[in-house]
Amino acid sequence: MKPKTELRLGFIALNDCAPLVVAREQGLFAAEGLCVTLSREASWANVRDKVAVGALDGAHMLAPMTLAASLGVGGERTPICVPLSLNLNGSAVTVSKALADAMRDIDPDGMAEKPRTARPLARLIAARRGRGEPPLTFAVTFPYSMHNYELRYWMGQAGIDPDRDVRLVVVPPPRMAARMRSGDIDGFCVSAPWNAVSVSEATGEIMVYASEMWRLGPDKVFGVTAAFAKANPQTLQAMLRALLRAAAWADAPENRAELARMLARPEYVDAPEEIVRLSLVGSPPYVAGEAGSDSLDYIVYHRYAASFPWRSHAVWFLTQMRRWGQVGSDVDIAAAADAVYRPDLFRAAAAELGEPAPLVDEKVEGAHPECWTLDEATAPIPMAPDLFFDGKVFDAAQPEAYAASFEVTRAAPHKI
Amino acid sequence: MRVLVIDPDPARAALVAEGMAADDVRVAPSLETADLAHIAPDLIVIACDSPDRDTLESLREATAHNPRPVVMFVDRSAPGLAEAAVQAGVAAYVVDGLHPGRVRSVLEVAMSRFALMQQLRADLAKAKADLSDRKIVERAKGLLMKERGMDEDAAYRLLRKLAMDSGRPLGAVASDLISYASVLKGGGS
Repeated sequence: MKPKTELRLGFIALNDCAPLVVAREQGLFAAEGLCVTLSREASWANVRDKVAVGALDGAHMLAPMTLAASLGVGGERTPICVPLSLNLNGSAVTVSKALADAMRDIDPDGMAEKPRTARPLARLIAARRGRGEPPLTFAVTFPYSMHNYELRYWMGQAGIDPDRDVRLVVVPPPRMAARMRSGDIDGFCVSAPWNAVSVSEATGEIMVYASEMWRLGPDKVFGVTAAFAKANPQTLQAMLRALLRAAAWADAPENRAELARMLARPEYVDAPEEIVRLSLVGSPPYVAGEAGSDSLDYIVYHRYAASFPWRSHAVWFLTQMRRWGQVGSDVDIAAAADAVYRPDLFRAAAAELGEPAPLVDEKVEGAHPECWTLDEATAPIPMAPDLFFDGKVFDAAQPEAYAASFEVTRAAPHKI
Repeated sequence: MRVLVIDPDPARAALVAEGMAADDVRVAPSLETADLAHIAPDLIVIACDSPDRDTLESLREATAHNPRPVVMFVDRSAPGLAEAAVQAGVAAYVVDGLHPGRVRSVLEVAMSRFALMQQLRADLAKAKADLSDRKIVERAKGLLMKERGMDEDAAYRLLRKLAMDSGRPLGAVASDLISYASVLKGGGS
C-alpha cells in the first residue's frame, strides 16, 4: 500500500504550535513528500474529537489531554500516541491590575520576590474571606492542561486550595485578556502570546512565568491516534522528521523575529506581531512600561532535548491528575505513560536526521541547579537547569508518593 | 426536554431551532450569554466552531462553585454517529441521564440542519460568483464594443475564444481584460 501523503493537522492559536507552522511555511513537510493542510480549531475539545474520528490525522495537543483521552477520562476513550514534544515552558500566570495592587498592599515583600510565590495571594484570600467577600475567579484553558496544573501548583505551594479558595473556570486563550478587562476573571494561566496582551494594554501583570516555576517544564505535544501510528509508520516518521527540523529552526535565536512575523498572521495566531514577538525574542515584561528580559528560555522548542517525549513528563502529568482527583488510585500510572509516550518513535526519526537523542526514557526532574550535560544520549546533549521553584524533586519511579507529598492534595498519603 | 442551542451563527441557530419545534428550544450565540443556571437545559447542542466547547467540557469537573455538570453525549449503540456529528460540526452535551434515543433524535435533527445550512451557503456563494461573473463579462463585452467597434455577438465570441485558447473560465478572462484595459489607460495601480 502506498504511504499516506495527504494530511490534515490541527492546531490552536498559540506560539507553541510553531513547529507545525514552520514545517509547512519552510517547505519541510513538502521536502518529505507530504502535502499538509493546517486547520485552526476553535477548541481543544474539537482537536481531540477530530483526531479521534479521523477528521484530523494529527494535531498540536495539550500533553495531559492525550493522557486523559487515552484513559477515557473526561470523555470517550481514544488511545493517543505522543512521539514528539512541541515545546517546553511558554506560559505564565497573569492577574488583573486591581488584584496585583491589592496583593502589593497586603504583602509588598512577597510581591518583590522573584520568582514570585502565591503568598501575597494567599494573604489576600484570607483577608477577603474575613470580610465576607466572594472568591476570586481564575481561568485556565482546559481541565487537562499544563496551565491548570501549573496554576494549581503555584497556588498549592502557598497553601491555597484551588478547589475551595478560588473559583476556577475555563476560557479559550484568545479571550483571556478581554474577559479580564471586563472584570469577569481576576487572573489566568495561559500560553504565549496571550499574557503579553494583558500586560501591553496595562490591564494585567504577569506574576510568574512557567519557566520560573519549573525551569524546563513540559507543555504541548504532537499527537496522533495509536491506530494512525500503527497503520502509517512511514508517514508518521516523515512528519516527525519535518517537525524536528522545524523545531530546530524555530529555536534558533536568529530566526525568532521571523517566526514572530510568521505566527502573527491571520491564519495562524492572528495577533499583533509586536505582541507575538514579546514571548519569542525574550520574556515578556511582567508589567507595562518595563522591559522584558532577553532570555530565549521563555519558550523552548528544540534545545535541551525539548522535542523528546520524556516518559517522566507523562508520569508527572499523571501525578497531578491524581493530586487533583481527576483520576483515582486505580489508574496504573506507569502503564498509562508507557502506552501514550513513545520515545522509540522519536529516536527513529532523530537517527534518520543524525540528531542526538536521549537513550533513557526518563530523567529525575528538578535535580539540576546548574547547566548540565545529558550523557545518556547518542551524543552528549547540553541541558539547562531544571529546578522547581519550591525545590521539590520528581522521580518518576515514585508517582503515588509524589502525588501525596504536597500540602494541598486529594491523593491519599502513601502507606509504607 | 429543554434544549439549548449554542451557535455563533444566528441564521443556522434559527434553522436548527425551527427543526426542533416539538421541544422547548432556547438559542444563544455563546455560553457566556446563555445563563445556563437559569435556562437549566437537559441537553445542549453546540456548534463545533464555537470556542465555548472547552468551557462546557470543564463543567463536568464539578467543583463547589460550578453549575450542574454536563457530559458529552456519545451513543455507543449507534455506530458512526459520533463521526457523523463531528463531520457535520455539531456536539451534544447532556446534563442528566436522558434516554439516548431522545438525545439521538435531537442530535440528528441538528446534524441535518447544519448540513442544510452548509448547502444553502454553498449555493448562495455559487450564485453570487455566477452573478458577478456575468457582470464582468458584460463589462468586458462593452469595452470591446467601444474600443474595437465590435458588435455584441463578435465581442462575446472573441472573449469565448480567448477563454478556450487559454483554458481559463470566461469570467477570469473578462476580468483580466478589464484590468489590462485600465492599466493601458493609465488607471489602476
